[in-house]
Amino acid sequence: MNLSYTIRRYFLISVKSNIRFVTNSVNLLDVRGKIPENPVNTLKDVSDITPYFPESFNLSAYINTSQSLQNLVHLNVNLSKIEKKPHIVNKILKLDLVNDIQKHILFLKDYIHVDNIGPFITKNPLILCEAIEDLEVRVNYLQSKHFNQDDIKRILSRNPFWLMFSTLRIDKRLGFFQQKFSLSGNEIRQLATKQPKIITYNLHHVNTNSFVIKEEMGFDDNEIKFLILDKPKLWMLNQKSLLQRFNYLHNVMKIQHSTILRHSNVLLYRNFLIKQRHMFLEKLGRAQYNPNKENYVPITALYEDTDVEFCRNYGKCHVDDFNIFLKTL
Amino acid sequence: MVQIRNAAAAYRSLNGLICVYKPSCVSVRHVQHIIVTNLCRDLNALPDRPLEKRVEIVGPTNAPMQVKLLPNYADDPRVCGPRYIDKDFRCSWASHLGLFSSGVLLLGINDGTNLTYLLNTARPTRAFKVHGQLGKATDTYFWNGRTMERATFGHVTRAKVDRVVAHMQAAHQKTMYELSGLHMDSQTTYDLASEGLLRPANSKLPVIYGIKCVHFEPPNFTLEIQSVNEYEKYLWSLVHDLGVQLKTVAHCTGVQCIRLGKFGLDLSLLRKHWQMEHILHNMDQCQQIIEQNENLIKPKSAHLTV
Repeated sequence: MNLSYTIRRYFLISVKSNIRFVTNSVNLLDVRGKIPENPVNTLKDVSDITPYFPESFNLSAYINTSQSLQNLVHLNVNLSKIEKKPHIVNKILKLDLVNDIQKHILFLKDYIHVDNIGPFITKNPLILCEAIEDLEVRVNYLQSKHFNQDDIKRILSRNPFWLMFSTLRIDKRLGFFQQKFSLSGNEIRQLATKQPKIITYNLHHVNTNSFVIKEEMGFDDNEIKFLILDKPKLWMLNQKSLLQRFNYLHNVMKIQHSTILRHSNVLLYRNFLIKQRHMFLEKLGRAQYNPNKENYVPITALYEDTDVEFCRNYGKCHVDDFNIFLKTL
Repeated sequence: MVQIRNAAAAYRSLNGLICVYKPSCVSVRHVQHIIVTNLCRDLNALPDRPLEKRVEIVGPTNAPMQVKLLPNYADDPRVCGPRYIDKDFRCSWASHLGLFSSGVLLLGINDGTNLTYLLNTARPTRAFKVHGQLGKATDTYFWNGRTMERATFGHVTRAKVDRVVAHMQAAHQKTMYELSGLHMDSQTTYDLASEGLLRPANSKLPVIYGIKCVHFEPPNFTLEIQSVNEYEKYLWSLVHDLGVQLKTVAHCTGVQCIRLGKFGLDLSLLRKHWQMEHILHNMDQCQQIIEQNENLIKPKSAHLTV
């Protein structure tokens, strides 16, 4: 089969349409049934004639004839996830194997571990459509801001969308975080390395969560600075559930701000997990979170470890008792 | 427990009823979604069948052509998507529980959806624990509503609650006969009524067969209610009515379904156990209960089955 021809055909095809092509099977049978009358015809090489490629709504229809798609699969790219967005597929299909895809992958190889290149492209296939020069400029920008090589590697592999942002936007965003939380140069680098996703996150969302943490929860500026460097994930949570978690910890369980600050992991767990363990301890009369009194239960007990270990260490009972308790809620 | 060999065998055995414990503030639809996605996740993690091969005939057509057996890329889960997706599962509930109710919920998976339909038309009774609080009335009759009225409740005693509750139960006896679909003056009705309680013929109106106050510690109290066709809001309003009849006000603080027909709390799966192994085990247990009690699915008389 003529590969270049099929690929060229294949690039022209729009995957958006989901019309299926139906061949007229009756006609085909008629042709097959007859013995060819002219033996000269059979001597002609017709292998360069390929069957008509019908339009398809997924990529698996084309993969067996497309070398570039096969190569992407060998890289461990999940095409089934990419094809959910037809506008991206249309762009990806028009790429050239040697010129575009190979160059980009060779570029990415320097910053991302080989095993992670597939998942990286799955998450952000449009990186293959960006110009290599732009990507180099964006990496150079990070170097100019004194991020060391390991940091850059971590940033790029943890946030596949970082390279899609122009240096101007990244600069603005880094400035925004630095100003908003009054961070020093080292601290902003620490934040960007620790949680690169927050830099490219929706800034409106970050603003509303800052409001929740400052005004509604009542942490002061220094505590907020500590929190964003310790748990940047808090700024990426749904503000409603974040407030609900804090409300339960502070107003129902009567846990002080300072304790929450020390164990800020507690805010990352879903409310029902904390709630059911706390209610169980309360039922047993063991909900005592003050380290200065006897029978102290650390707040980490509410989210760490499995239920079995929690019951053994802090509930002093069997896990079945805990399960029976859960069926009374 | 059944040893699961591969995904296809596991999928074939996923037909039947399961009994789960629905937490409050999680809707029934969400429970269905969680269970189906968990099943897909667990099935996709199981050993998959080998990839299909593809025959390709290549070479010039006027010379002997080559037949090649090549791997079929289109069959790879990375290309055609995961083997099991949400749409592969049908899931339906036997009887609905409101958003704020918790407790026993029966779900039918794949062929089990048929069973949930039969179970629903057989109208098994449900037992509820309804928690209430005296002294405050809200606009929704539930704790999350706006406070409409406050009243004292010092005069309410256990005996008074029992009396009002017994009166409410008696008032529902008449509805039971009206909803059974029988003619009130006939001999058949008399014969049936002399033998026991009757099932309602349709699902239009709630019927209460028993109310009992099981816990009383003012201002909190708990009622245990056995009923058919009830719904969340109805149970809330029942608590509200109780308050009014006790010459005070009350609102509901929680509704928990503790039994549906023969399916009790001990059978129900907790949220942390909504995984394939546990679901398969639970399905077997539910199947046994259905086989032991044929009346649960196909009741032969108009009497209350469970």
